[in-house]
Parts: sequence; structure tokens; C-alpha cells
Amino acid sequence: MTSDAWYDEQHRLTPDQLQTVSFPLTRWARHGYEEESVRAFLAQVQAEMVRLINERASLWQEVQRLRRRILGTTNGNDAVLFGKDDAHIHAVRILSSAQRTADRYVADAQAYSGRLTEEARTRRDEIMGQAQQHADMLLNEARTRARAAAVAAMDNEGLSPQTDQERRAVHAELAYLRTFSEVYRQHLKIYTEDVLRTIEDWENKERAAARDIPVPGDVPVRGPDLPGIR
Amino acid sequence: MDLARLKNSFAKVAMHGDEVPLHFYSDLFLKHPETRDMFPVSMQAQRAHLVAALVTIVSSVDDLDALSTFARDLGRDHRKFGTLAEHYEAVGDSLLATFAYFCGEVWDTALESDWKAAYELIASVMVAAAREDEKHNPAYWTGTVVAQERKAFDISVLTVQPEPRLDYLPGQSVAIESPARPRLWRYYSMANAPRADGSVEFHIRLIDGGAVSMALTTQAANGTELRIGPPVGSLRLDLASGREILMVAGSTGLAPLKAMIEQLAGRPQPPAVQLFFGARAADGLYDLPGLEKFATEHRWLTVVPVVPTERSPGRVSTLTDTVMRSGTWSAHDAYIAGPTEMVQDSAARLAAAGMPAAQIHVEDFGWSEQ
Repeated sequence: MTSDAWYDEQHRLTPDQLQTVSFPLTRWARHGYEEESVRAFLAQVQAEMVRLINERASLWQEVQRLRRRILGTTNGNDAVLFGKDDAHIHAVRILSSAQRTADRYVADAQAYSGRLTEEARTRRDEIMGQAQQHADMLLNEARTRARAAAVAAMDNEGLSPQTDQERRAVHAELAYLRTFSEVYRQHLKIYTEDVLRTIEDWENKERAAARDIPVPGDVPVRGPDLPGIR
Repeated sequence: MDLARLKNSFAKVAMHGDEVPLHFYSDLFLKHPETRDMFPVSMQAQRAHLVAALVTIVSSVDDLDALSTFARDLGRDHRKFGTLAEHYEAVGDSLLATFAYFCGEVWDTALESDWKAAYELIASVMVAAAREDEKHNPAYWTGTVVAQERKAFDISVLTVQPEPRLDYLPGQSVAIESPARPRLWRYYSMANAPRADGSVEFHIRLIDGGAVSMALTTQAANGTELRIGPPVGSLRLDLASGREILMVAGSTGLAPLKAMIEQLAGRPQPPAVQLFFGARAADGLYDLPGLEKFATEHRWLTVVPVVPTERSPGRVSTLTDTVMRSGTWSAHDAYIAGPTEMVQDSAARLAAAGMPAAQIHVEDFGWSEQ
């Protein structure tokens, strides 16, 4: 390879071409490559090419450096092992690699802090979820207990009024209802006895009538009007 | 200047991936050790930013308007990092040395002078924009924490007193740097309309592994001095439209929308506003009581809290689903803020349902979010 113009060679494959290349689809999809795999491979090839190009550039620089050194010696000038330009390029490389290391440290620290925050966020969501669940459970339990207590109170002690005034009012109501029910019981008792007496009377009359009338056999027996229980 | 050759050589340099910015920064720090302090400990994100900015610049060399707008924003934005005019020369030297290293033999005096000219052009636009901005604004504001309130498990509200006074429009945001995480800047929206006393609220959600959000939620105390960059972002109320308003806020995306609601409250006859406020879980609706109180005092505002529910097994109903189910919005102005996916989903579905693009306003953080 001549040292000049390797950049100017036409029709050579470049990393850019690999990035944009596309392939026609096969007629039978089953026989084609998987697009994802092809893309992944191309990315790998591209990275490799960039690396090779950079390596070649630095080799070229090295060749130039050595060439200058030889020329310098043959010209009879001071034979410097390391020209000023070379020293600068070396310093640039050292600084570049130091910068890359620093970049990596910062990126690692940032990624770590990102993970921590993300974990904290997830953990917080979990804790909040659990707390919410726990609160819901407590609330439900409290509600169930309250309901049970209310039912028990109604069963055992009736209503439990809050103030004296309410209690007095309830007692008055109770007394009234008791009196009322007693009066009605009395009424009902008298009425029922009256009805029973009527039935007895009716029975006696029926029997007496049966003795007085001869039995022709074909005369229908007509019942009396029922006494007025209405 | 041979633009085609510039682009071509850049493509070849870019082929070396992360090695390129790594080489550039090492070269810069060796030649100018004092610049190292302007960057964070880890340079991983920084290298990606540099490559993204270079790609944007190189791919827009044919569109000078876009290129100079980008360079001007970049120049203004770099003031808060403490970038001075002399730094541009140092960066130019290291950038050229890096390109020379990776171009190898192809590098010649013609290519070198073309790259030099291109860089000087961009740098001069950046420096000029920074100089112009110096006349009106400080490089950064000092924001003293005056109150902090934890609203939910992972959401805090910080009240900050900026010095000097920070002028902004509700809907805008600023980059914030905490002294606990030097040189790491993150964007937060102002959550209130500008106040007489100048104080500003920020809603901070703790991101898992997020260096800055962690420092702001757990390490900021009253008296902590934050650095605040200039207000950015194009989200703002269209006060002239006369249309009713739909607002969709996902999590702390509420902040810019709340600032806009406060702005509306200060105006005569605000339009009807429906605010859909969504979070992953009920406790993520961190500012709901305050919002509901505000809504009872201001009848034009309706607040609809939304948390995901399983409509059917495995099919979760999202904030956007709820919004789309709840009305016909094409005659409204929509303001959407929150996680990128949610914002894009809502904007796309409102557009699909017939809302003109000019009526859909989404949160953005200016160039720096690219």
C-alpha cells in the first residue's frame, strides 16, 4: 500500500454504507435471514471497521513520525528520538484515554445513582401499596366490628338512648304502649266472651227447635244466620 | 473556497467517530489548560454536542441564512459558559490540528486555508452576536434560592430570585447550572408570569440518575446561588387570535402552561381555557389543589386531571387519548408541554384531527436541545 491517498480510493465499503444497507426480501420468507440478526451483525461490523480505520490512522501517524526521524538523522540534524509533534500527539493520546476513563467513572456513578433512585421508587410504591392494603384491612375490620357491636347492643339492651331526655321520652312511650295493649287485651277478651256466649245461645235454640219439629225427612235443614262476627 | 472539498474532507474525518472530538478536546486542553475548567468532568455529552454542531454547520454551508442564524444563537448561548473572544482562536487552532490529524495525507495548504477561512467566518458571526448581546444582557443571571417545596415524591418547586431582574415571556425557559454540578446545564421553564418582585418558580422533577435534577431537588438550600442562562424558546401565547384555548400538560410540562394561565389572568376578558393535566399516577398531579383553587376564582379556566387507566387489558388510555375523546378542538389554539413523546403524539393527533399547524404551539428549548 502506498502511503498516499488511501482515503481517496473510490468504491470501497465504508461503515456508513453498512449502516444504511438494505437487502431485498426473499420470495419465501422462511428462507430469508432474520432482519434483527442481520442488523446486529452489521452494527458489529461497523464498530469493527471504525476501530480498524482508527488503528490504521494511528499507524500512519507512527510511520510519518518514524519517517521524519530518519530524515532528520540523515540530514545531519540533531537526532531526536522524540520530536515535539510526536510528544504532543502522545500527550493527546494519554489525555484522551484519561478522559475516557473519567467519562466511564462518571457514567458508572450516574447509572448506579439511577438504579438506586429507581429501586427507591419501586420500594416506595411497594410500601405505599402495602400501607394502603393494611389501611383498607383495618377499616374493613373496624366496620365489621362496629356492625357486630350495634347488632349486639340492639339484641341485648334494646336501643340505648344517649341522653336522659331521650330516655324519659322512650320510657313514656313504653308506658303508653303497655297501657294501650292492656286496654285492647280487655276489649278483645270481652268481645271474645260475648261471641262464645252467642254461639252457645245459638246451639241451645237449635237443639230446642229440633225437638219441636217432626222429621219429614225431605225438608232441607236451613241454618240460622251466623251471629255478627264482622 | 471549495465547498465540495470541505464537505468531502469533513465526511472522511467524521468516519472516525468519537475519536475526533476526543482528539480535539485533548489538543485544546494541552495547548490551553485554562479552558479545561469551562467543561464538565465527563465530556461524553459535550463531545456529542460538538459533533452535532459541526454537522449542522457543514450540512448548511449552502444556506447562509440558516447558517448565520445558527451561529448567532450559538454565539449568544456560549456567553453563559464564560466564552471570550480569545477562546475562539484557541478552538480554531485545535479544530484545524484535529482535522489535519484525521485527514492524513489529504491535508494540504489549500484545504487548510479553506477550513481556516470557514472557521473564521463562523467564529466572527458568533463573536459579533455575543458582543451585541453584551449590550443588553449579562452573560448569566445569579439566581438565589429563596424557597423550596416538595410537592410530590419526586417533584419540587424552587423559588429563585434572579439578579439582575430576568425579563421573559411566559412559556420560555432557561438553562440552569447548580454549584453542586459545575458546567452541567439543564433547561427548565419559568412556572409563573413575571412578578413585581422578579422572583421565579421552577418545577423540578427528579430524573433517575439525573445529575442536575438530583442536585436541584436534594442539594439546593435557601441561599444556594444558581447560574441562569438567557430565556429561550418560542412557546408563547397568541394573544391576538381570539380563539378558545386547549392546554395539554404532561407532568412538569405544567410549568410553562401555568405561567401562561397567570398571564391570561392578568388580562381583560381571558378566553375559555381547558387544561388537561396528566401524570403517570395520581400523586404526580402535584399542583392540582392550587390549580383547582385558581379555577374556582377564574371561571374561564377548566382543569381536567388525567391519570392513565386501563380501558381494556393491555390498552392504557393516555393523556392524549383523553384529550381527543373530550372534544372537537380544531377551532382552538393548542399549547402542549411535557415529555417529548407525549408532546409529539398530541401535536400529531390534533393536526390529524384538522387543527391547522399555526394553532399548535409546542414547548421547545431553542437550539441547545438538538
